[in-house]
Amino acid sequence: MAHTLVRYAARCIALALVFLPTVVVAQATTGTVRGRVVDAAGGRGLPDAQVSIEGTRLGALSGANGDFTIAAVPTGPHNVVVRRIGYAPATKLVAVTTDGATTGDIALTASALNLTEVVVTGSAAPTEKRKIGTSVASVDSTLIGRAEAVTVDQALQGKVAGAQITQNSGGPGGGGISVRLRGTNSFISGSDPLYIVDGVIVDNGSAQLADLGIRSNPQNRLADINPDDIDRVEVIRGAAAAALYGSRANNGVVQIFTKKGTLGKPRFGLTARLSSNELREEQPFNFYPYNENGLPVQRFNYQPDIFHRAYGQEYNLTVDGGNEATRYYISGNVLDEDGIMRSTSSRRTGGRVNLQQQLASKLIGNVTANYITTENQMQAFGEQNDYGIMGSLFFAPTNVDFRPVNGVYPLPPSLGTNPLLAIDKIRNPQTIERFIGSAKATYTPITNLLLDYTIGIDNVGFEQRQFVPRNAVLGTAPIATGRAQSVFQNTRVINQDGVGSYTWDPMGAFELRTTAGFNFTSQHIRTTSATANGLAPVGELVSAGSVFNAAQNEVELRTLGFYAQQEVDWRNKLFVTAAVRYDASSTFAPSERWQAFPKFSASYVVRENQPGLFNNLRLRSALGWAGSQPGVVNAYSQYITYANQNFAGRPGFANDITFGNPDLHNERAREWEVGAEVGLAHTRVGLEATYYNRLVDDLLFFRPLATSSGFSRQFAPIGSMSNKGVELMLRTLNVDQRNFQWSSTVSYTHNKNLVESLDIQDFQSAGGYPNRIRTGYPAGVFYGSYAARDCATGALLLDSLGRYRRSNQTVDMGATLAQRQAISGGTCNDSLNKIIGDPNPNWMGSFFNEFTIFRKLHVRALLDGVFGNQIMNLSTRAQNAGIASNSKTYERELLPYGDPRKLPPGYNARTQGIFEYWIEDGTFIKLRELSASYTLDMPAVRRVFRDGVDLTVSGRNLVVWTNYSGYDPEINLFGTNAGGIGSVQTTAADRGFDFGGYPIPRTWSFSARFTY
Amino acid sequence: MRMVRRCAVAAATASLGLLGACSLDLQNPNSPTQEQVTTSVDGVIGLATGLQGRFAQSYGNFGYMAGLVTDEFTATSAALISISDAEQGAVPSGTAISDNVFNSVYRTVRTADDLLTGAAALADQIDPGTLSGMRALAYALKAESLGEALQSYQQIPIKTFNITAPSYVPRSEALPYVRALLDSALTEITATPPSAFFNNSVLTPGVNLPNVIQLFRARYARMANDDAKALEAADLVGRTGPTALSLLTFPAPAVNFYANVTGGPNGIAPRQQYRTSMAPQDQRFTYFVVPSSGLTGRIGAPLDPWNRYANPQAPLLVYFPDEALLIKAEALANQGQLAPAQAVLDSVRTDCTGGRGIDDPKACLPPLAAQLSQDELLTEIYTQRKYELLGTGLRWEDSRRRNAIIGPTASPGIPTSGQRCWLPYAVGDRNANPNVPADPSEPSTFPTGCPL
Repeated sequence: MAHTLVRYAARCIALALVFLPTVVVAQATTGTVRGRVVDAAGGRGLPDAQVSIEGTRLGALSGANGDFTIAAVPTGPHNVVVRRIGYAPATKLVAVTTDGATTGDIALTASALNLTEVVVTGSAAPTEKRKIGTSVASVDSTLIGRAEAVTVDQALQGKVAGAQITQNSGGPGGGGISVRLRGTNSFISGSDPLYIVDGVIVDNGSAQLADLGIRSNPQNRLADINPDDIDRVEVIRGAAAAALYGSRANNGVVQIFTKKGTLGKPRFGLTARLSSNELREEQPFNFYPYNENGLPVQRFNYQPDIFHRAYGQEYNLTVDGGNEATRYYISGNVLDEDGIMRSTSSRRTGGRVNLQQQLASKLIGNVTANYITTENQMQAFGEQNDYGIMGSLFFAPTNVDFRPVNGVYPLPPSLGTNPLLAIDKIRNPQTIERFIGSAKATYTPITNLLLDYTIGIDNVGFEQRQFVPRNAVLGTAPIATGRAQSVFQNTRVINQDGVGSYTWDPMGAFELRTTAGFNFTSQHIRTTSATANGLAPVGELVSAGSVFNAAQNEVELRTLGFYAQQEVDWRNKLFVTAAVRYDASSTFAPSERWQAFPKFSASYVVRENQPGLFNNLRLRSALGWAGSQPGVVNAYSQYITYANQNFAGRPGFANDITFGNPDLHNERAREWEVGAEVGLAHTRVGLEATYYNRLVDDLLFFRPLATSSGFSRQFAPIGSMSNKGVELMLRTLNVDQRNFQWSSTVSYTHNKNLVESLDIQDFQSAGGYPNRIRTGYPAGVFYGSYAARDCATGALLLDSLGRYRRSNQTVDMGATLAQRQAISGGTCNDSLNKIIGDPNPNWMGSFFNEFTIFRKLHVRALLDGVFGNQIMNLSTRAQNAGIASNSKTYERELLPYGDPRKLPPGYNARTQGIFEYWIEDGTFIKLRELSASYTLDMPAVRRVFRDGVDLTVSGRNLVVWTNYSGYDPEINLFGTNAGGIGSVQTTAADRGFDFGGYPIPRTWSFSARFTY
Repeated sequence: MRMVRRCAVAAATASLGLLGACSLDLQNPNSPTQEQVTTSVDGVIGLATGLQGRFAQSYGNFGYMAGLVTDEFTATSAALISISDAEQGAVPSGTAISDNVFNSVYRTVRTADDLLTGAAALADQIDPGTLSGMRALAYALKAESLGEALQSYQQIPIKTFNITAPSYVPRSEALPYVRALLDSALTEITATPPSAFFNNSVLTPGVNLPNVIQLFRARYARMANDDAKALEAADLVGRTGPTALSLLTFPAPAVNFYANVTGGPNGIAPRQQYRTSMAPQDQRFTYFVVPSSGLTGRIGAPLDPWNRYANPQAPLLVYFPDEALLIKAEALANQGQLAPAQAVLDSVRTDCTGGRGIDDPKACLPPLAAQLSQDELLTEIYTQRKYELLGTGLRWEDSRRRNAIIGPTASPGIPTSGQRCWLPYAVGDRNANPNVPADPSEPSTFPTGCPL
């Protein structure tokens, strides 16, 4: 038997070696098709258009001037189809002879609606958008490249309806960004979608390997990917679209495709960008020159010592090109920028090689290799109040002179560190060495059959170090003796994908395509840490310490899935798809492991490219299921385990207080969506509208166990949650003249999140913060103490000194219910705490305008905004705390009696205990992007640089219109981390807490792009 | 062409086959499973160490909480309001103060039950002396933990092992159960003396198990007003030589419970009144605190910083040896044997440097001048217990027994004994256990004892 198998395999290999080249020889009667793609309005050549020969798999991308060449086209008549984002497709018939053929110029007309674009995410095999029953957002390289953003998720802000893309912190290297598609869908798995780069599932962790503020999210690992390498991004937003990704797709999928290189001679490109980042606005502090006793006191503004104008530079060098058999794209990138907080910086250097090779007439190989080194210098912020800079700023009284005396930095009186000391001495360097690579083989043994196999690896080596010198921190904790730490984490994600797609010969009015595939993913994370306290006076490494601690952790997750899909086209108008994924993950109990995730979708093209005012109408609907799995933190929740309980220097065990769940299974989302695309006024107006309704059942979280059993909780299904919403995208081509073009895009997103049911008590999802998960309310509503009001008039109840009465304090409200009601004049203040706000926005929107003037000057402006959400401003609360007393309201307490602005003594001490007081409207509109680029293409320039020189001046986060009083309404303490435990428990529902965040800078940049 | 198709199918099948070989059954390399721990001798011995670790934690939690709700401790720089509430006698439901004792006690109980179960299952693989030692240790620490719970909560669960919703019983049922556990511990070591392996490699170095069992027996016999048994057991607690102290040790990087909370957001320190209310010659404060003049706690209470636990590696005494003498004196006084009672009490009062050669608080007071009456003796014993047993949590039960619960004492008032009767039941248990009784109401007139 084995012998037969070996012989059989040998024959197959021999056949592959011998037979395939003969196929190349066999097709001798071919010719080469040449032509040019141009813009119908401007007449200029259009690069990056997809040109294909209908009925074959032959095709090419147009070059910089719109030129294209397609070799080895069988002789005979052929339709040449041209597609490009932003244009209606065009077709031209050519007769190919052995001498080749020329199409001449193929003119594309700009279109506000693009339904013929081919996408691959969520549909198993390349499919036109018009055939898919869900909405798929795609963003192309122009939009990403011109955003002048340092990371891809930053570049997507404001460009995808249904996506809440939040920059949670403003540190260098992109800050920590979270992407949430269609609301909160899970408590445990983070809000972030599954990221795939060229078919490789990539790690977008935002782990803090040392304490940089626990939940402050300084950076997420998508920051390693150079946006300049990206060709396009596809976003599918929910279960209906993502069923084929099975138990990892509940939060949607973002697939990134990098550039492949265009046909032609090598083309070199160099982009240089210089940027300047600055603090948008200083915060007001208490600078009143008298103290509590009316005595003069000197006060200091530390902000200029902490923040500075920071510069950055970025260089991208690319070379791409190719011929009929080979296409390549090679790039090198250096990004080096300082953060606006002194002593913070980020430096990313990377190289990429993308290679596509026709290995045989029916076999194409694709290889991508991307190596990145990211080196950051961070400072702690957010929750880190011992040595974090923002915490020290907010908690330090303004009358402390932090300037060093004889080299000694004075420490603040009660909390935090000296921020100048932190900037000068505390170091948190990170080094990330990352390789992302993939190999893909596409084989078309017969015209109707397409076989694809991809293997990909993402290997992230991450070292986090920390050095806190001796005597840099108040108190007697070990860190006051100094701390040196080194943590190494290696994350390796390997995935294999195989898919086969068979297109049946047409059967009357029906066309069928059958697709089947598998996917196997393994994620392996290994962490080792060494920590030393009791540091010597000199030396920043662990070896400088005298008291040592070490730890090690290893987690592996594997997911295996098989899927099958059947598509039926009827008269090229109605498209029906049914699919199922059968999926298993190692994290679930064996008995519950295998789950089926079906989907059904239909698309009906009512009108297509009709002339006149009503050009296009497509209706679509889809129903699908997807799941989510526990993240790395809870990967082994199915096992009943024991924890180390060492004592008196001996190793010991005790039961883990989190009881294992031998029946653990996945969360399950059911989503239904319905939508339409409409093209109007000669497709100068395109409207895309979607309504969706998603219900997630069996939400996983910690179910409390009776603590008398010796356990505390169990990871188990606890309830269900829904998201319902509307996404609208309106694109208009307002003016399309030869010398002036103006287009606009408006997006609107409304999402309503609701906790539908809970099998357990309401719970605080953000450990230590006043919020709640409660049935009948959106996830993560603020819940806490409030200022008591008169039940009859609704007026605030004040005490004799004019101070608020705290709902949860007996001193203010009396000890008994009867006393409370007597003070309140009713029952309206009976509860100690109540729901006091909601961090979830009512709606989000963006407004994007693009102007092209005289074909050379491009002006772009993007406004985006979030509306109707609330923020709990704990930064200002910290300023008001007694030990800080550095806020503007505290200043009013110091004013002399008689001043109309005078606040009664103890006013601010009272507001500390009223969480309602710190709720602010978080609505904002940002001028997110503004840019002007000019193309120098006079002959003198073009003699040197083939495509001319693009010069761009741009700005990000230039203006923010908001009533929010903190540094930035976008800052959020909780970003992408979720599923943490204990006092640092964090869920994907936790939003809207501003506590010592790193302010988001205003950025100006100037860039020049040369190609030759 | 057919061959090509067949090869493609074969390649696809082969890759699927390879995938099938990729197991989805992954073991957790970070933590041992229940089976690995409870079915191996090494694992069960590890449980015995874990039990002692958990005991140190629950004992610390009990002493910490009871010190706050009596007159012993004040919050230092606490960021947590619940701690300064507790030092004024207010313990709202759901706070760490009300839950930590309960939760940690029942974790200790769970580990003791795990150890008993594991030892029973592997009885034929463990030598008899090690087996008896581990069983006695489990009984003793389970008993003391439940005893701490019944000094904190009006009713407590006593049968909890593998029960999802344990029932609560009053002290009249719980206290005999605790005493029976201690008797079982004694029976174990009497029948089969613990092996050298147990004493040297399982039991924490510095702990003398027979003495611990006898002291606990005396303590709970006294609580049950069983003076005869209290007397008998107290007499069996060794009072000289190296075995007179039983120490839980904390070699670095481990940190003593009190040192661990000192300076942190949960920080506490003894109230200055502990020192200043002593008789002028009394030297016991030097054992515990460093006298201060102006230090105050979070809400202004004068305090003295720790001396005893300033060193993070300072050992924690399982019991103070003179507790046996004070139990004995109280039992004798109760029985009307006033002169012997006073003699025993004087031996505590006159314990002085050198003394019995052990490192414990030393009063260095003169003996009482004249024979006291029974009431006077009991009051004096109560006073001596206050100074001798700081931080053990026993002060709270003493206040109850003496009908000296004085109710919440708002700052700047300074409490002089226990401020409340009970803690609210743990929310962690209530959230998942329908058998948790309603929180007991606190008395409204003071001073008072507490309804049991």
